[in-house]
Amino acid sequence: MMLQMVLRRIAIGIATILVVSVIVFVMTRLLPGDVAQIILGQGATPETLAVLRKELGLDQPGYIQYFIWLGDLFTGDLGISKAGGATISSLIGGRFGNTMLLAGLVALISIPISIVLGLWAAMHPGSWLDRIITFGTLSTISVPEFFIATIMVLIFAVELHWLPSTAMLADNMSFLELLRGLAMPIITLVIVVSAQMIRMTRAGILNVMSSPYIEMAILKGVPRGRIILRHAFLNAIGPIINVIALNLAYLVSGVVVVETIFAYPGLAKLMIDGVQTRDLPLVQACAMIFCTTYVLLILVADIGSIVSNPRLRHPK
Amino acid sequence: MKDKIKPRHTPGELRYTDLTAYDKGLVERAVRSGHSRRDVLKLMAVTGVSMATAQNLLSTGGEAMAQTPKKGGSVRMASNLHGPDDQLDPPLMTSTIDYTRSRVLYNSLLQHADDLTPQPELAETCEPNADATEWTMKLRQGVVFHDGTPFTADDVVYSMNRHIAEDSKSVIKSVLESVQEFKKVGPHEVVAVLKNPNADLPTLLGLFQTKIVKNGTTGDGIGTGPFTLESFEPGVKSTHLRNENYWREGANLDALEITAITDPVARVNALIAGDAQLVTQIDPNAFRQIEEADGVTLLSTPAGLQMGICCLRNTEPGSNDDFVMGMKYIQDRERIVNRILKGKGTLGNDHPVSTAHGADYCSELPIREFDPDKAKFHFEKSGYKSAELYVAPVMSGIEDACLLAQANCAKIGFDLKLKKVPTDGYWGAVWMKEPVNVVSWNMRPTANSQMAIQFAPGAAWNDTFWNNDRVGELLTLALAELDPAKRHAMYCETQELIHNGSGMVIPAFSNINDGIASNIMGMPKVPLGQLGGCEWPEFIWLA
Amino acid sequence: MTNSNEQNGVAGEDVVDEIDKFAELPDVPPKRKLKLSWVGRIASGIVIFWLVIAAVGPWVAPFHEMDMDGDDSFLDAHTNEYGTFYLGTDYLGRDTFSRVIWGARMTIGISLAATLLAYALGITLGIAAAVKGGWVDMIISRMNDAILALPSIMLGLIAIAAFGSSIPILIIIAGIIYGSSVFRIARALGLDIMVQDYVEAAKARGEGIWWIIRSEVLPNAAMPLATDFGLRLVFVVLFISSLSFLGLGVQPPAADWGSMVRENLAGLTYNSWASVWPAFAIATFTISINLIVDDISAKSGGSLAKKMV
Repeated sequence: MMLQMVLRRIAIGIATILVVSVIVFVMTRLLPGDVAQIILGQGATPETLAVLRKELGLDQPGYIQYFIWLGDLFTGDLGISKAGGATISSLIGGRFGNTMLLAGLVALISIPISIVLGLWAAMHPGSWLDRIITFGTLSTISVPEFFIATIMVLIFAVELHWLPSTAMLADNMSFLELLRGLAMPIITLVIVVSAQMIRMTRAGILNVMSSPYIEMAILKGVPRGRIILRHAFLNAIGPIINVIALNLAYLVSGVVVVETIFAYPGLAKLMIDGVQTRDLPLVQACAMIFCTTYVLLILVADIGSIVSNPRLRHPK
Repeated sequence: MKDKIKPRHTPGELRYTDLTAYDKGLVERAVRSGHSRRDVLKLMAVTGVSMATAQNLLSTGGEAMAQTPKKGGSVRMASNLHGPDDQLDPPLMTSTIDYTRSRVLYNSLLQHADDLTPQPELAETCEPNADATEWTMKLRQGVVFHDGTPFTADDVVYSMNRHIAEDSKSVIKSVLESVQEFKKVGPHEVVAVLKNPNADLPTLLGLFQTKIVKNGTTGDGIGTGPFTLESFEPGVKSTHLRNENYWREGANLDALEITAITDPVARVNALIAGDAQLVTQIDPNAFRQIEEADGVTLLSTPAGLQMGICCLRNTEPGSNDDFVMGMKYIQDRERIVNRILKGKGTLGNDHPVSTAHGADYCSELPIREFDPDKAKFHFEKSGYKSAELYVAPVMSGIEDACLLAQANCAKIGFDLKLKKVPTDGYWGAVWMKEPVNVVSWNMRPTANSQMAIQFAPGAAWNDTFWNNDRVGELLTLALAELDPAKRHAMYCETQELIHNGSGMVIPAFSNINDGIASNIMGMPKVPLGQLGGCEWPEFIWLA
Repeated sequence: MTNSNEQNGVAGEDVVDEIDKFAELPDVPPKRKLKLSWVGRIASGIVIFWLVIAAVGPWVAPFHEMDMDGDDSFLDAHTNEYGTFYLGTDYLGRDTFSRVIWGARMTIGISLAATLLAYALGITLGIAAAVKGGWVDMIISRMNDAILALPSIMLGLIAIAAFGSSIPILIIIAGIIYGSSVFRIARALGLDIMVQDYVEAAKARGEGIWWIIRSEVLPNAAMPLATDFGLRLVFVVLFISSLSFLGLGVQPPAADWGSMVRENLAGLTYNSWASVWPAFAIATFTISINLIVDDISAKSGGSLAKKMV
């Protein structure tokens, strides 16, 4: 039964990935101007455009380009960037590592903080601490992240000179230098994602707290702290894992604003660049990576929920 | 930052950096011991340097002479744009970051001085035949590529003919149209055979795209330039080390990192925080921030960076003379220069020649006044009550200038709608297609090329579709006219024709505004691109 | 930020189904009458204030949003021959106070319209998928998954590059992106309700499918969906501001709060508050809506939270 559920989800994931590939392909067709136009810029003439288009294979019909690409993808070949001529795997390679590094560090810091604060707020609902946490998280959710990031740069880099204003990595950095270099984007992203996770942890636990068997335990006189840690948290863990998974997916694919402000070479910015240079294979490769990450994370979260939920583990 | 063409030829001129260490010392001693400019000129005349060359030495030497350059150190340069399409192949280069890398890795045949005269680089001489249809270049000997291969005429012939080949995709293919072919005459001698006379050829040989690569290669970073390629990740950064076998004296810096920070606010913050030492494209809103901060300098180079609104003359509403006049009169030029460009720019007069072009600028033609009443009169006469203007942030301040025009139009009852579109795809999808759109042109080295590229009848980039035979005639005649007064009169007439007749609204020209760390010395000031025409890598040093 | 927020409504809805199916007791039918705490009442006051400003803004603002009448850019409060600039001027010398007022209409208008569209799309398709099941459900759900799996910024960027940035386009893009989240909630609720006794009873009585949707499914899904509405609205505001960061937001000179924050960021270093005021406006509006949502969901037995995650 459990295996069946997992297999079904994997099938759904693969279907999603295929649909994404078609959607991205169709959408990029809608863009005005093609890669040849972008490469030649203001200096394009019809003649040079035609030459370049032919060389880039842009004169072939769309569906043929799609199937060629899909075939290559199955053999693990991501193709060649139409714009720069580099292989896409080489473009993505280093950035993939950068994105994972940043996402990993942010997750490492924000997940424990969020769960602890969320639990704390849930243990004392309505207290001042709870209100401060609620209000603080709401405030950070509500302000655009480029505003938070810019204020951080002005304070810590421009005024105090404590931290570098950009997150440019060099090859020979020690781990401490690396942490210092990444401090600003890490802090910004921790603020952004924690707020969401704290709120959902709190909400999830309070939600379980209102269920009859917990109410029963409260009536029996079990201390509230123990109820939350032993019973409520375990029961709420499924939804919490889900929120964490979604935030991780966001850290991989959606942090373009932070990558731009801190000049951090990550995947999200690469994808935006791909759209702007009409580099179709590059956009598709990035979209595939994001989509696969999303599907995998959700899969892990779902399995986590199933495993952590006794009722789902042993269904009727 | 697009392609550009370069100035009238005065080949064979020395610049300060071309001098031997001994001669430099001589000049420096003279300057520092408090001699006047005239004394120094006299001194050099004694040592056998021609007066013109001496003048040139002084102007190109300038700052560098104030102190002895020091070797060592490294800098990071942050441009405004980069992406997966970053190029090391010169014919395809279109952005400042590419141009800078081309200056770091390769050399041209000729290069530009601050005053835009062509200087020898890989070509020691560049001489025309009598009717300027064949140009013979003697190449420098003893130059080697980064991998040790000697530089010869084959490399030049290969690199240059790539632009004009039938299947060329070079950005400057049409610019080099007049060239039939580059032919090898000897191991270190090349001749350019032209289809028709072109006195401006030397300027073309110093374009960003006309860098010399090794025979048979397509931009793998192995050139003859002052730095070697250490690493290159498109859209991330490139790193470079000094080329110790350079044919000139060699760069002062040990190493360079070239990258971009696309967010304008972040770019300025990186400069002030010390994370980048040279940054391009400073937004006018940040001038004050840089001027007030310690350790950084705003580098504002007067240049004819054109801020334009194209009203296409072959379609509505630009085909209507009164609509175009209305658009010209509604421009509050003073305010654009003073408030939007914060004084770092010059007034435009609806033609593409700016004061940066020197004597060829028509100062007799009065600047068109901001006159809402006349604008109102013309708009009403045109019958249009509204128009749609396509705006993309193709240069700093252009959106703001359009907003100002919009606000002023609203006050006289004309509804100027702004349609904001992204910069990517702009040149293909909007420019020269939508009836009213913004445009930005980098400065071309001569008034003639500046006007010809946009206004010669039938020119590929005639972006207002305004064809005037007299303009074409004047541009051709002026090239052959040697009397400065007569030539000035011709250019004046051309400018007046464009000013009145074309669909081009040019309220202002912007300076090129960059920021550098204050300890950077010896910055070149070539006005053809960011950071001194991207010429800085070889020449700067850290105090 | 938008992304992480937005996606929270959507994950693993299958699991939620399962949890619901096995819950000890069905959720208490939500109360229809609202009683707000003092926090909720203050928040409602703020939201109503902004709604009023959005409605009457252009008539009460001292300047037009496009007027560049200030003495210079990034000035503090001052008075000149054109009037008084209570909150100083922005980067072009326009009145910040007036632009925040004008911006209320643009920001709230777009986000309301986009959220309504998201709901119309999400509920229609979600309930259709839940009721029809089978292939219809499969196809709509996979399309929906695909939209969720792609970063919303990317979708927005491509759509705007393709169709241009106009207010209707922005509304449609945001509506589709956020509609996909609503879809998952609506579908989950729909599936949930379809197996309830009263629906089974209605089916047994031989009622038509539309009757069941109209009189059983929709009324029972209404409260959880209504409380979710506030959150979606906030995400749309932030989504539009992220687009404006990339230079693709609302058309100039229209003032929307997100782009006002963005375009005046440079002023922060001159101690100009021109970007702080619109940020403050966004914060007060969105925090208030969230506080109301909190209040309502606390009252509705927390069932919302379960649907949300």
